[in-house]
Amino acid sequence: MLWLCIQLPKLSLEALTRAHRAGDTAPVAVSQSNLIIEANLAAHALNIEPGLSIATACAYCPGLQLLERDTEREAQLLQQLAQWAYGFTPVVSPRIGNPDSKALSEGPACLFLELGGSLKAQGGLAPLLQQLGKELHKMRITHRMGLGHSPSAAHLLSQLPEHRQWLAETRTPPSPQQWKQWISFAPSKLLDCSNKAIAKLYACGIKRVSQLLAIPLSEVGNRFGRDFIDYLARLNGSRPDPVPGYQPPAEFHSELFFPSPLDNSEQLLFPAGRLVRELCRQLQRRQLYSPTLYWILDYGSRGAEVVNVELSRPLFDPQRLIALTKLQLERVELKEPVQALALRCKQLRPLETTMLREDFFEESGNQHESYQLIDKLKARLGHQALSGVTLKESYLPEQAWASADSLNLQSKPRGHQLHPINAPRPNWLLSRPDRIQQRDHSLFYDGELQLLQGPERIDGYWWQHHRHARDYYIARGPQGSLYWVFQDLTSEDWFLHGVYS
Amino acid sequence: MNNAENFMQNKPLSEQTAAHPAQPLQQLLTRPDIWQLASRQRQPRTGISTGYRGLDALLASHGWPRGASTELLVDKAGIGEVSLILPALAEMTRQNRLVILLNPPHIPYAPALAQAGVQLEKLLLLHPRGQRDQLWAAEQALQSGACGALVSWQGRETLADKDLRRLQLAAREGGGLHFHFRPGSSASTPSPAALRLQLHSDGKQLALQLLKQLNGKSGQRLHLARNPDLTRRDQPLH
Repeated sequence: MLWLCIQLPKLSLEALTRAHRAGDTAPVAVSQSNLIIEANLAAHALNIEPGLSIATACAYCPGLQLLERDTEREAQLLQQLAQWAYGFTPVVSPRIGNPDSKALSEGPACLFLELGGSLKAQGGLAPLLQQLGKELHKMRITHRMGLGHSPSAAHLLSQLPEHRQWLAETRTPPSPQQWKQWISFAPSKLLDCSNKAIAKLYACGIKRVSQLLAIPLSEVGNRFGRDFIDYLARLNGSRPDPVPGYQPPAEFHSELFFPSPLDNSEQLLFPAGRLVRELCRQLQRRQLYSPTLYWILDYGSRGAEVVNVELSRPLFDPQRLIALTKLQLERVELKEPVQALALRCKQLRPLETTMLREDFFEESGNQHESYQLIDKLKARLGHQALSGVTLKESYLPEQAWASADSLNLQSKPRGHQLHPINAPRPNWLLSRPDRIQQRDHSLFYDGELQLLQGPERIDGYWWQHHRHARDYYIARGPQGSLYWVFQDLTSEDWFLHGVYS
Repeated sequence: MNNAENFMQNKPLSEQTAAHPAQPLQQLLTRPDIWQLASRQRQPRTGISTGYRGLDALLASHGWPRGASTELLVDKAGIGEVSLILPALAEMTRQNRLVILLNPPHIPYAPALAQAGVQLEKLLLLHPRGQRDQLWAAEQALQSGACGALVSWQGRETLADKDLRRLQLAAREGGGLHFHFRPGSSASTPSPAALRLQLHSDGKQLALQLLKQLNGKSGQRLHLARNPDLTRRDQPLH
C-alpha cells in the first residue's frame, strides 16, 4: 500500500476565487466570524495573515476585498477534486477540512490516494507525482503532498518540509525502514490530534514522535486515551487504517463563482472554456460521454437560466465544445449580471465499442463533418428544428412513416429492416388529408380531377373502435398534377392525401 | 533530356516545345467559367447524373452541376418536380452523404423515398423559424462539405439577390448540390444560379425549359415522360 496525501491548505480561498484570471493582483481575503482565515499572495505581501481581525486587516490594506467563507462551495470543490483524482487511482478518499480546533482532526481539507496499484500504468512514481502536481497547478489549487504506508502516515508526512523535499526528488517508493525514520523524526506537533493533546505532549517534553514511540503503549494510553493509541497504531502500520472510499457519481457538475458579477455573455466564454476542459479530461479518463451539456447561468437571488448544448455523438475535443457553447451563449440575453457559471452533465454514459468502430474504419472525414454540421445546426436552431424520417410497419399510409430523432439518423439501421410497400406512393404526404369538393359525380380540387387508377382499398383497424376504410385513387388535375386521393368508405367523402411531385 | 537524345529517339523537336505553352492553356480551359464550344462532346462528366439521359445530354457538366445552385421554377406542385431530382438525391445518400431538405412544403413520404432508393438515415429535415435562421442554416449546410445536396423551397418572402449569391458561393465552397424551388414568376428576374430550369406540365409529361446555364447553351426544351405506373389509365370505377 502506498498512500498519497494531498493537503489543500488554501481551499477556502480557491473555492471563491478560482474563476479569476491568472494575472489578477488585487488583494483578496476570506473571513469567517470576524477573522481572516485565508489571504491570497497579493494580500500576504501586505502583511495580511490568517488570524487577523477584519478591522486590523482593513487598516493594513484599505483596498482589501473581503469574501465570506462558503463551506458548501468548498465541499463541492473538494468533491470535484476527488473526481479528478479518481482518474489516477480507483481508491480515493476526500476529507473535509475542519476549522474547529476542538475536533480530533483539524487542519485543511485533504485527499487520500492509494497509488500502489497505479504506478505501472502511470509510468512510475516520479512521472505520476509530476503529472498530479502539474494538473493541480493548472487548476490553480495550492497543495502539499506526502507519501506514506497508511493514510495517517501520509497525512503526517505531508506536513513535514524535509519529506516534501525528498518527495520532489525521489524516483522510487521508500522502504519500510525509511517510513519509520521519517515518522520518528517528525515533530509531535504534526500529529493529527487535538491542540489539547499536543499541548500535553509538549508539557511532557515529548517533542518528536520518536520519543513518544519509546514510551510503552499502555502508559501512553493512560494519559491520552484509547483513541490516541489507536491513532499511533495506524500511524505505525500495526493496525489497518480505513478511510471512506469515494465513488464518483454518474454525473458531472462544476461551478465557477464570480466575485464581481459578469454582465456580458462574451465574458462568460473564458470561464466556460475552463469548465469544458475540466469536463473533457474527466470524460476521457472515465471513458464516458455526455449527450447533453447544461450550462447554468446563476443570477444569484434572481433565479438561474439553463442553456443546453446537445451533441450527436461522443465528443472530447474542448475546442469544438466551446465553439458549440459559444453559438448557444450568443443567443442568450443576460437578464441580470451572472454571479456563477456551472456546467452540469446529468447522465454520463459509457462509451460503446460500436461508436468507436464507426469512427475508425467505416466512414472517415465525411461522417465526422456531418456530425459537426448537425451539432452546429442543433445549437442554433434548437433540437426540435431537426428531424429525420423512417419507415414504420403499418397498413395505414399516414402510419407507414415516422419522424425520427436526428440522433439515430446517422447510424445505419441494425437488425430488422423494413421494406416499403411495392405500389406507387406519392413523394409528399399531406399532414392532414385535404377535403375535395364533390359536385355531380365530379371531383374538384383546383379544377376538375380525373381519376386515372384505382381503387386500392386500405381497410385498417376494423377490429378497433375507429375504423379506417378508404379507396385510394391516382387522379390528375387540370394542370397535369398527379394527386393521391381517397374516398372514405364510411362517410363517402373525398380527400386529397398526397402529391406525386 | 537533351536535344541529342531527342534525335536518338526520333522525336520531333516541335512536339516538345509545343507541350510547354499548352500547359497554362490546359489549366485555363479547366476553369468552370470558360466555355469551349468545340470540345463540348468530349467533356467528361463533372456533375451528378440526373438519372434522365436526355437531360444529362443537355447539361454542360452532363449532370446536375456540383458546387453550384440550381433553380427549379415550378408553379404547381405534383408535376414531377421532386421526382426529377430524386435520382440524384438517392445517389448522394448511397454515397453516404447527407441530404438536407430545408422547410419542405409537405411531409416527405418515407415509403416513396425508400422506393426511389434514398437511404432514409442520411436524410435530414430542417425546419428553422424565420428567414434569417433559414438562410444561416442553408449557408452552414452548403459550406460544411458534409452535405451532398441541399433542397430548399422559397417561402413567403422572396430571397434577395445578395442572399442567393451567398448561397451560390457557399455551394461552391462546399462542393455539394443545391436545388432551390421558386415560383415560375421569378423567371424574369435575374439570378446568380448556375442553372435555371422552368418546369411545367403538358398534361402527361414534364416539360423542361433551360432558362440559363453557366458555360453551356440555354433555351432548349425537353419533355420527360412520367412514371408509366402513375399515368396509366385504367378507367377506375367509383
